Amino acid sequence: MLVVMLLAAGFMRASDHEALIDAALGSPVLLGCFMALWGLYTLKATAFVRSQLAAPDHLFFNAFRLQTPSLRGLLWLWVVAELLIPILGYAGWMLVRAVRFAQWSAFYTIATAVMGLVVASVVWVDYRLRHPAPAPLRLNLPALPIPYGLFFPTYWLRKEPVSLVLTKVSSGLLLVGICLLYPTDDYDQRLLLLGLLLAVLFHASVSRQASQFEQHYLLLLDNLPYSVWQRLGRHVILYGLIWLPELALFLRHYPDAVTVQYVLLLWLTGLGWLVLIHTLVYGRRVDPDRWLACLFATFIIGLLTIMAHVPASVWCALGWGATIVFSRFRRLPLKVAS
Amino acid sequence: MLTVTNLTKAYEGKTVLTVPKLTIPPGIHYFRGSNGSGKTTFLRIIAGLLPFTGTVLLDNTYDSQRQPVDYRLRVNYAEAEPVYPDFLTARDLTSFVARAKRAPPGQVDQLADLLGVTAFWTQPIRTYSSGMLKKLSLLLAWLGQPQLVLLDEPLTTLDVETAARLFDFVREQIRQSVSVWLTSHQDVALTGLPITATWQVSNGTIHQATDAFTS
Repeated sequence: MLVVMLLAAGFMRASDHEALIDAALGSPVLLGCFMALWGLYTLKATAFVRSQLAAPDHLFFNAFRLQTPSLRGLLWLWVVAELLIPILGYAGWMLVRAVRFAQWSAFYTIATAVMGLVVASVVWVDYRLRHPAPAPLRLNLPALPIPYGLFFPTYWLRKEPVSLVLTKVSSGLLLVGICLLYPTDDYDQRLLLLGLLLAVLFHASVSRQASQFEQHYLLLLDNLPYSVWQRLGRHVILYGLIWLPELALFLRHYPDAVTVQYVLLLWLTGLGWLVLIHTLVYGRRVDPDRWLACLFATFIIGLLTIMAHVPASVWCALGWGATIVFSRFRRLPLKVAS
Repeated sequence: MLTVTNLTKAYEGKTVLTVPKLTIPPGIHYFRGSNGSGKTTFLRIIAGLLPFTGTVLLDNTYDSQRQPVDYRLRVNYAEAEPVYPDFLTARDLTSFVARAKRAPPGQVDQLADLLGVTAFWTQPIRTYSSGMLKKLSLLLAWLGQPQLVLLDEPLTTLDVETAARLFDFVREQIRQSVSVWLTSHQDVALTGLPITATWQVSNGTIHQATDAFTS
């Protein structure tokens, strides 16, 4: 989701950014929104560092505790500053504009907030280093059986809750927003398709997460006597479950000018493309840079084809058709030889 | 029993294992070799976990690539260092694998008792010791009606009592025409298992060891 947000911000012209900054300098609420976003980004970045410190492969980092606190602080400062470069850069831009317009209260607020985020991050990651392997707070509930279809959703909820919440909330809010916007002007069904495209892209990282989860924790899957098609069927159920809240939101908020059948078609289209992305990614090592480039290209091509009036039915057929074609040529094990 | 033809496995363009032709009869087969020699890679290929070039044929009938479902019904695998999602329980994983491998009724309970998994059946895996994890992986490897069971380092972290029960069970399975391949850095002679043949994995290939302990 952050990637999509960054892409969206990247589409804005410099003058638009400056207008936004100028508005934020004069509006505590807007400035608060900026800081909330920065806080979220910082939380995500530092949570990543903490998770890496606890990862079995990186336990040697614990030896870093032997360094003096001041040296550790400096090194953490370096790491955190690198991770927060997007925030520091944007905040720097805002500070320059604040000086130019003599917005001193905004200047001090931004400077304090950024320094606070950096210092808090340094303290937070160093605390994890000094207190490794914390005993997690757990409710002593009876262990309910977990079927295979819930293995990944449970992992996502337990191990990467920020990702789950951000993905589902952003996708849901976007679809609701599009549905509410639809009756207010002369929009046609392309608007709903655009919303769908973005909602699917919000979910794009899920396929990588699911693939990595199964390749790392469920090595035995490749030894199970399921054909490629049976495996595909199981993944369709998995993504159907993940994509189910969007159906509920669509059915609750769809515009009067649109039929239920069209809403179901949109949902099926989204599901087909999610499964297609999964089929393309599963079992492959995906280079993050190439992945971002592919997402960006998909967004642009999708945007152009939707603008060219390619209907939802064609999108639906393309998504499911490509999934079937790609699956037809896959062989067990579902790994690409390295 | 199992025939390997023109097998080649490469990682990132570098060939790590080449087996031009290998025919392994039924029985208990011990694969030995130094660390990184390719034992685990070979077992994983046979288990259908890794892509490779070549042919692996079970009973001259089931090709691991052409009949992947039939083949995987008959070949099971226990990892050397099993890793499972820590929020699952032995019950969750076992019921999933048992259904996939078409385990006969009562088999799960029998194996869970044999390997002592019943004691932590509904405990989350995050609470397991390495020995408990190993017991769970061994249980999963015997589910269904396999013809070939691949045990990668089965002795590591396994307590003496469970190991003894496991070896008795292996002997019983051998009498029922199940073959077992195992790797170990421990002395397999101590297990008392009737080893059919010992295979040396080294220099990127596999050949039968002539100085081996067999019975």
